[in-house]
Amino acid sequence: MANANDKANCQGTVVKRDKFIQLKRAWYKFSLNKTSVIGLVIVVAVAICAIFQPWLAPYPHHAGEFVDFANVNCPPCKEHWCGTDGVGRDILSRIMYAFRGAFTLGLGCLALVVPFGVVMGLIAGYHKGQWISTFIMRVTDVFLSIPPLIMALCVCAILRPTLFNSLLAVSVSWWTWYCRLVYSMTSSLCNEMYVKSAELTGASTAHILFREILPNCFGAVFTKMTLDMGWIILTGASLGFVGMGEQPPIPSLGTMVADGAKYIPGQWWISICPALAIMIIVLGFNLLGDGVKDMLSSEE
Amino acid sequence: MARTILEVKGLKKYFPIAAGEQKGKVVRAVDGVDFFIREGETLGLVGESGSGKSTTAYCVIGMYSITDGEISFKGQDISMHSSKRPLSIKKDIGMVFQDPGTTLNPQRSVKQILSLPLSVHKIVDKRDPEEQLLKLLEEVELPAEYLYSYPASLGGGERQMLAIARALATDPSLMVLDEPTSALDVSVQAKIINMLLRLQKERNLAYLFITHDLSLMRNLATRIAIMYLGKIAEIAPTETFFSAPRHPYTQMLLSSIPVMTEDEEALKPKRVVSRGEIPSPVDVPPGCSFNTRCPFVTDGCFEEDPAMREVGTDHWVRCHLFA
Amino acid sequence: MTQTIVDIRDLYVQYRTFDGQAKVLNGVNLTVKKGEKVSIVGETACGKTTTVKSILRILAPQASIPRGEILFNGSDVLKMGYSELNKLRSSGASMIFQDPTMSLNPVFTIGEQMEAVIRYSGQSGVEQKSVRHELAVKALEETAMPDPERILQSYPFQLSGGMRQRVCIALSLATPRDLVIADEPTTNLDVTIQDQVLKILKQRVEAKGCSLILITHSFGVARETTDRIYVMYAGNMVETAPTQELFREPLHPYSRALMSCIPRLSGGGMAEGIPGRLSNYHNPPKGCRFAPRCPEAMPRCHEEKPESIDVGREHQVACFLYDKDGGK
Repeated sequence: MANANDKANCQGTVVKRDKFIQLKRAWYKFSLNKTSVIGLVIVVAVAICAIFQPWLAPYPHHAGEFVDFANVNCPPCKEHWCGTDGVGRDILSRIMYAFRGAFTLGLGCLALVVPFGVVMGLIAGYHKGQWISTFIMRVTDVFLSIPPLIMALCVCAILRPTLFNSLLAVSVSWWTWYCRLVYSMTSSLCNEMYVKSAELTGASTAHILFREILPNCFGAVFTKMTLDMGWIILTGASLGFVGMGEQPPIPSLGTMVADGAKYIPGQWWISICPALAIMIIVLGFNLLGDGVKDMLSSEE
Repeated sequence: MARTILEVKGLKKYFPIAAGEQKGKVVRAVDGVDFFIREGETLGLVGESGSGKSTTAYCVIGMYSITDGEISFKGQDISMHSSKRPLSIKKDIGMVFQDPGTTLNPQRSVKQILSLPLSVHKIVDKRDPEEQLLKLLEEVELPAEYLYSYPASLGGGERQMLAIARALATDPSLMVLDEPTSALDVSVQAKIINMLLRLQKERNLAYLFITHDLSLMRNLATRIAIMYLGKIAEIAPTETFFSAPRHPYTQMLLSSIPVMTEDEEALKPKRVVSRGEIPSPVDVPPGCSFNTRCPFVTDGCFEEDPAMREVGTDHWVRCHLFA
Repeated sequence: MTQTIVDIRDLYVQYRTFDGQAKVLNGVNLTVKKGEKVSIVGETACGKTTTVKSILRILAPQASIPRGEILFNGSDVLKMGYSELNKLRSSGASMIFQDPTMSLNPVFTIGEQMEAVIRYSGQSGVEQKSVRHELAVKALEETAMPDPERILQSYPFQLSGGMRQRVCIALSLATPRDLVIADEPTTNLDVTIQDQVLKILKQRVEAKGCSLILITHSFGVARETTDRIYVMYAGNMVETAPTQELFREPLHPYSRALMSCIPRLSGGGMAEGIPGRLSNYHNPPKGCRFAPRCPEAMPRCHEEKPESIDVGREHQVACFLYDKDGGK
């Protein structure tokens, strides 16, 4: 189809601001890639499990303090799709409950990290070459050089290991990625003619950063957020695996994998099922991220 | 005679090369340019790539800080970067860029784009702000339904018309237009140029019009200045420029234009055929910068850079042939 | 009877998009004889590039061809198999694109790229590197490039725009071809360089005896370089005539309107432009696609699509004004 330049002189079709059409168009672009739709289905399914766990899980109370030594270490069967663990709790229900923690971690972390990282990136990118930009980027470099997991382990070791502290721990270094991303986008966008035009008109720096440049960064930032959900959940699971995540009896995916590790290969389902769950979530977000990237890109 | 609204004296803009094998040298984008524009007239600044015409425009508008020289607007010195200029100056000079694809923010609607200059300069009509915007759209002959559209749904010509509306919103006295129609088809170009002419008459606007298209200037400009490697080679009123071009580069440029009719063919200077390429503005040859391509080159041309000489009414040429 | 190199008959091309099928080409007819230089003049998005890309079958994947024939030296390109198509692209026709920066691979030297073209052209005797090198040097010399040896060792970024475009011309003529297609080859170049490049293109094409299809939006360029002009609007060839004839008497209202919009070196002010806008390819008007904007439209024009009418002197125009039965 004629690219943007070809359209330069074809008097364009007037599209009234019809949100419905825009949504349909976005869906069209998204759904061109079938795997992204699969990703969306996975993510939505996991989210529904997390939210509606009390109603959807076969044994919702197994997610709390519960013991049933009669049903200990049952392999996957009709009553327990993922089997039971060492104290008789249904693993599937616990996994579904653990999804809540995973999502909370992911969303909470992003809620902290994205606004801060983006603002830092905007300021640094716009004032490239000045001391404030250098300062911000050197701080970013320092935090970037620390592996997130190690940082998180340290923070959790100093503070008590809880969900909230894990969240803080992961956030401490995660904001740097957003800062970097927005920094590089901003430094190239501030040479665009529409930004120059706004400057020449006399617009304030705040206007230029938040009204002119930021809307053009949304695509990349949002795509990264989608992919990051998977990564943050994985990092959270790793924390749980070494015992620094949520403590029992609250089920957490990483802790479940760790607990079940000693039963492999005999009672493999205690470890493998939560591990598969982690894999599916991360896969879902990755596939979704691909589709989000296609949807938000301005290629027609 | 209308009063002078913009005066440029000895304008120089050099870009130092920061890295690479040519580090330490400078790109002499603009190397000593003098001109003035009167109220209500159009000065056409013509040249090919590397001539420095866009850089000159950007210096006038304040996008670049100048290396040397003076720019004054309505008597006030505006030789500084636009961030240091008073708001009243920004209100009075409008700018239209070349590429319709990047001149408008794709994430902002037409309404937001047009409202920005109005709100920055605090000239929003509080009683009926939407009516004010619709009037602007009407001035540039864009339909009112476009108010809530985004640039992506507009064609290239329409986007340029919107860019012009944006520049006009603050009611400036001078508009700087950097090849606004180069990327557009001739039929759209005709529409836009007509609109610009009408607006000029209605509002007594002065235009600094940058272009490489001499045929267009023939029909639009009051005076024409032709630039080569950062300096003005010839400047003259339009009629004179085409009937009696003096500088060899002007003649070379005129003879290269592909034309459509026999009458136009007859107007082209025959003796000067295009040859050679434009040298890099980093390594400007000593003496006259045109000496690598000029068919009338003499020894003197390699030694001394010619000064501007007046050869007729308001007609100046920089060439040893007229010393 | 001179041999016909390209014969496009009633070609329809459409693109699949979110809003449906964009019916870009609407029955295009184009003929190029051996040694003829033809130009397609039209505004942006009128389908010129789509037409020539169809000849080489390098359209985007969303494109489909519901109807039409493209005969290249007698065989239908649209029905060609892979090996025949390959032969067409390596030794039948070549294409020069608008932006030389995009056509030349930045990580290979000019020499490497030229030798690759020569090697895969299907010519005999090009197995040896020295032979290919000689041919490459010769090709560059023919386009009046100074110091061809040095150019062959340079990378594209080391050359200026005009020189890159000349390299592209040399590339397309390095091996014997029947047809050269040039898609707005000088639009991105300065006017003085454009002049040089076009002269070289014309001269080389004539020397080799190949045919040329030149796409441009400038009538001036078409006038100086080619023998016959096709005027295109919204996916149709609205008029075609030998160059002199077209300028002497443009018949189609669009051709006339377009010519009047061009600013004249002789002065005289600017024309008004053409009212209205290019029709939407998703929902094209019934009948003549120019009718909504045509100052001389008749009721018939909005209903029926005009076929090409021969008015003599090798001049054809697709307009009911010249139809003996229904014209004015």
